[in-house]
Amino acid sequence: MGNAVIRFDQVSKRYEGGHEALSQLTFEVAKGEMAFVTGHSGAGKSTLLKLLALIERPSHGHISLDGQSLAKIGQSGIPKLRRNLGMVFQDHRLLMDRTVFANVELPLVIGGIAPLERGRRVRAALEKVGLLDYERQLPASLSTGEQQRVGIARAIVVKPTVLIADEPTGNLDPQLAVEIMGLFAEFQQIGTTVLIASHDLPLIKRIKKRVIVLDHGRLVADVSAEEVL
Amino acid sequence: MSTPNEAQTAARTERSQRRPVSSWREHHGWSAANSLRRLASKPVGSLLTIAVMGLALALPLAFYLLLSNVQSLGDALGRNQVINVFLKTDQVASNAQLLAKKIEQHDGVANVTVKSPQEGLDELSKMQGFSDSLHALDNNPLPYVLLVQPQDGVSADTANQLVDDLRNEQGVDVVQDSGTWRQRLDALLGVGNRAVLILAGLFALAVLLVVGNTVRVDITSRADEIGVLKLIGASRAFVRRPYLYAGIWYGLFSGVLAVALAIAIEFALADPVARLSQVYEGKLHVGGLPPWLLLAVPVAAAVLGWLGARLVSAWQLRRAA
Ligand SMILES: Nc1ncnc2c1ncn2[C@@H]1O[C@H](COP(=O)(O)OP(=O)(O)OP(=O)(O)O)[C@@H](O)[C@H]1O
Ligand SMILES: [Mg+2]
Repeated sequence: MGNAVIRFDQVSKRYEGGHEALSQLTFEVAKGEMAFVTGHSGAGKSTLLKLLALIERPSHGHISLDGQSLAKIGQSGIPKLRRNLGMVFQDHRLLMDRTVFANVELPLVIGGIAPLERGRRVRAALEKVGLLDYERQLPASLSTGEQQRVGIARAIVVKPTVLIADEPTGNLDPQLAVEIMGLFAEFQQIGTTVLIASHDLPLIKRIKKRVIVLDHGRLVADVSAEEVL
Repeated sequence: MSTPNEAQTAARTERSQRRPVSSWREHHGWSAANSLRRLASKPVGSLLTIAVMGLALALPLAFYLLLSNVQSLGDALGRNQVINVFLKTDQVASNAQLLAKKIEQHDGVANVTVKSPQEGLDELSKMQGFSDSLHALDNNPLPYVLLVQPQDGVSADTANQLVDDLRNEQGVDVVQDSGTWRQRLDALLGVGNRAVLILAGLFALAVLLVVGNTVRVDITSRADEIGVLKLIGASRAFVRRPYLYAGIWYGLFSGVLAVALAIAIEFALADPVARLSQVYEGKLHVGGLPPWLLLAVPVAAAVLGWLGARLVSAWQLRRAA
């Protein structure tokens, strides 16, 4: 498959002193595709995403991202990789002493974008998540769902090819969760490849996207969007 | 937004076309402003740190100021002081004139004045309380005195040689010279100068440690933020840069504070020193702090702050990773 953006080939991960968190995992995600990774707690969902962001390295196997072999990226190449990867976390990881604007701006500062251009792009991102009026506020004054949306704006402001999210709706009520997932689906529609780890099966079924099911680190099912009931 | 592929291609070209220089400037501008904002966000702590560092830097400066005043006082009193050469009482006018001519040829001598016993007696009798007792004397007990004026800025060696030679001249009884105390003062000043250097070194070390510890605490309390920055693609240099700037700001501000304190001390000393100067007929030119030093102290302090932050942040960030 030529247009695979994420490719796992016989990937295993054994944490130091632990059992195998992932074993011989092989799958691909095509460009512009949106997929869920699900499974029980400890199945290896977070580990899979950490391998993509080079927070962890695989013990065996081969991973490539956007045509680039991750094994060839050294310690000094990691920042550059992450700058082109949008990441959303369950606990949003916002800097609580900076405004919403400053939080979303941060990846652009890191990317060395000039202030004027930064302002334009931050507002575009905030508009997309519906938080344009909140740019001067501190994250603490926002609701949990709004904070998560700021986290998403920060992830997409760099226009990443790949967007990964680990339990992005874990702290949200069902209604908000559907809203956030809808937001991810919108980014998929503009060409971003989206990979979301979630254990919330009812929610996943409502979204109707591809689902990769893990069990004790093994891939046990790969259900295409059309097959989701 | 346009079609997906177009958007991504645009993003990519934008990234590759960006000039590294402007990105470097963006990073530094942002880090400098950001670290300054952080200092301002906890004003009490920042001011205390700056005050401690400023005082530490002001101390050697104050000592330097004191020393340079003592030095100029010594210069005013000691240099070009007339050497009194008392001849033996059996020496007559011709001997005195002859010797004066000879001494005038000596290295480092500007001129020689002969003071006869009569002139000496006249001088004494002008002083209150002496005249009566002097009238009681049958004959003048005073010797001829040669007043030897050394040349301006004569070296200590030449001056010492001169005094030694004068002592060995025939007919010379006593040579009265201010050089001895001048030498002692110079030796003392030498000790003082060394002490200032040592003091400055020690307090520079203290400044380094204060900045280092402040940055260490700062990094520890911002472990979460550092983690987030790394996750969204910040390089090590980017994560570290605000702390380096914090060190520079701490150093710069404390250096300015130290200079301000030193200038205040200079002003406080100005009055008494001016009075002292009058006593010595204005010969005493009080040296304040030279302008280059006023500039050099903040700059050096900023470099120290940067260095302290650099040493600690390298180590602390590696620990945080
Ligand atoms: N840093 C680590 N060191 C050792 N073992 C780890 C580490 N991180 C995860 N593990 C183990 O690896 C396995 C997979 O963990 P992972 O976090 O990927 O699961 P998960 O599917 O994300 O679970 P959850 O739904 O609870 O978040 C677990 O057994 C876990 O205990
Ligand atoms: Mg997890």
